[in-house]
Amino acid sequence: MIEFRNVSKKYNSSDNAAIHNATFKINKGEFAFLVGSSGSGKSTMIKLILKEEEPTSGKIIINGKDTTFLKPSKVPYLRRSMGVVFQDFRLLPDKTVYENVAFAMYVVKATPKHVRRQVPMVLSLVGLSDKAKVYPNELSGGEQQRVALARAIVNNPSMLIADEPTGNLDPNTAWDIMGLLNDINLRGTTVVVATHAKDIVDRMNKRVIRIDKGNIIRDEKGGYDGEI
Amino acid sequence: MTVRYNSIGYLIAEGFKSVFKQKKMTGASIIIMCATMFMFGVFYLLGENVNYVMKQVENQQGMRVIINDDATETQIDDLKVKIQQIDNVSTVTFYSKEDALASMKSILGDHQDLMAGYDEDNPFPASYFVTLTDLTQNSKVQEKILDLDGVDEISTDNDTIANLSKVAQSIQTVTLVLLSLLIVISIFIIVYTIKLTVYARRREISIMKYVGATNSFIRGPFIVEGIIIGIISAFVTIGIVALSYNAVLDRVLESSVIKSLTISLYGFSELILRVLIVYIILGTVIGVLGSMISMRKYLKV
Ligand SMILES: Nc1ncnc2c1ncn2[C@@H]1O[C@H](COP(=O)(O)OP(=O)(O)OP(=O)(O)O)[C@@H](O)[C@H]1O
Ligand SMILES: [Mg+2]
Repeated sequence: MIEFRNVSKKYNSSDNAAIHNATFKINKGEFAFLVGSSGSGKSTMIKLILKEEEPTSGKIIINGKDTTFLKPSKVPYLRRSMGVVFQDFRLLPDKTVYENVAFAMYVVKATPKHVRRQVPMVLSLVGLSDKAKVYPNELSGGEQQRVALARAIVNNPSMLIADEPTGNLDPNTAWDIMGLLNDINLRGTTVVVATHAKDIVDRMNKRVIRIDKGNIIRDEKGGYDGEI
Repeated sequence: MTVRYNSIGYLIAEGFKSVFKQKKMTGASIIIMCATMFMFGVFYLLGENVNYVMKQVENQQGMRVIINDDATETQIDDLKVKIQQIDNVSTVTFYSKEDALASMKSILGDHQDLMAGYDEDNPFPASYFVTLTDLTQNSKVQEKILDLDGVDEISTDNDTIANLSKVAQSIQTVTLVLLSLLIVISIFIIVYTIKLTVYARRREISIMKYVGATNSFIRGPFIVEGIIIGIISAFVTIGIVALSYNAVLDRVLESSVIKSLTISLYGFSELILRVLIVYIILGTVIGVLGSMISMRKYLKV
C-alpha cells in the first residue's frame, strides 16, 4: 500500500516544485500507471516512493508506516518491501543471468539453499530458464528487462515499482513485459508503472494517475487521456 | 556459484578482488604507506634507543653532592634522609673524606708523592653520590638539593645528560610529527584508492541499495580492502625496517665510540613485536577510516 498525503517536492537547484500537493492512495494488490509528458514528475514520484528523495512537505505512507521520519538505517528494510525496475535494466555485466538474480538475494543475506530454490523459480516465471548461464550482453533488450524483473521480485516484495520499464523496447517486446507485470500483479503484488507509452496504457485499461507539471490532473481507471 | 555472500569469506574474497583489480593504484598506495611508515619507524627506533642509552647513562652517572666541610655528623645523616625524600632520587651513597682520598690515590697510581701529607690534613670533602630514576628531572633535583643545609656544591657530568635529554626530546617531537603525517598521508591515499574501486563498482552499489542491502553490508568489502592495504604495508615495512636496522646496528656496534663506552643498543628482536603491533594497528585503523571516508558519498541515497 502506497499513500501520498499532500506531498510536495522541490529540488534545491530549481525554482518550481517537481511535485505539487499530491494526494493519492494505491491499495495492496492494485495496478496503477503514473503517466505524463517528459518532465511532468513521474520519476520524482518513484524516487519519493523509494525514499531516494525526501518530500519537501507532506507525508508518504508505505504499508501503513509513515516513512517521513524513518531513520536512514531503516531505509534498506523499507526497500526490501519493494522491487524496482528501470528503463536501462541496470544489470551487472560481469555476472550471468542467474548470478544477477541471486545477487539480489545474497545482499539481503538469504541462505544459499533459499537462493538455489528461489532463483530458478523466478527465472521460469519470466521465461528465461534456458538463459541462466548467459551474460547480459548476449541478451536482447526485452530479455534483459526480464532479468531485471526477475531480480526485482526474487525477494518476494509486496510492491513492484517500475520507471519506464518499456522505454528502450520495441512495441511487441514492450507489450510482453507489460503482460509479465500484469502476471506479477495477479499473484498479489502491488504494481506501479511510470510511463508515457500511451498505446500500452490505453490497451491495459488500468488505473491511471496523470501528472502534468507536478500536479495530479486525473486519477481514474481507463486510458491515457480518459475513459475508454 | 558457491560464494556465500553472508560470510566472512565473502568479505575477504571481495576485498582481495578489489585489491587485485586496482593493481596499480593499490601498489602505489602500499608504496606510499610503506615510505611513511618507514620514516616513522626509523625515528621510533631511534627514540627507543636514545631512551635506552639514557637509562644506562642514568645508572652509570649520578651527581656528586659535596658536603660542607664543617657539617656535623647529625647534619650529614639528616641530609641523606632529605635527599632521599626528593622525587626521582634513586640511590644515595655516602663517600667519606677518607673514601675520596683513597679513590684519588688509586687514580694517581705511581705518583703517590703528589699527595704527601694529605693523610694528616685531608683536603677532599665528604660527599653523597646520588642517582636518579628519571634523568630528565636532573636539573630540578639539583635545585632542590642545593637548597638543603650542609650542601656545598654539586659536581656532575651535566653536559652529557642535558644533551642526551635534548636529543631525546627532539626525536620524540619528530616522531610525533611523522606519525601525524603518516596518518594523514595514508588516509588520503587509501581514500583515493578505494574511491576508484567504489567508482568502478558504483552500479553494483546502486543495485545493492535498491534491493535493500544495509550500508554496513555494502561497506564491508571496501573496509576489508582498506585493511588489506594497511596490513600488507605493515608487513612490507617491518621487513625493510628489520633489514636496515640490523645493518645499521652492526656498523654502530663496530664503531669505536660505542665500544669505548659501556653502553648497548636494543637488538631488533627486542623491538620487532612492538613495532609490528604499532604498524598493524596503524594500518588497520587507517584502512578502516579511509574506506569509511571514501564511501560516505555513495551511501547517502
Ligand atoms: N535531481 C534533480 N534536481 C533538480 N531538478 C530535478 C531533478 N530531477 C528532476 N528534476 C526536475 O523535476 C522535474 C520532474 O522531473 P522527472 O524526472 O520527475 O520527470 P519525468 O516525468 O520522469 O520525465 P521523463 O518522462 O522525461 O523521465 C523536471 O522539471 C526535472 O528537470
Ligand atoms: Mg523519468
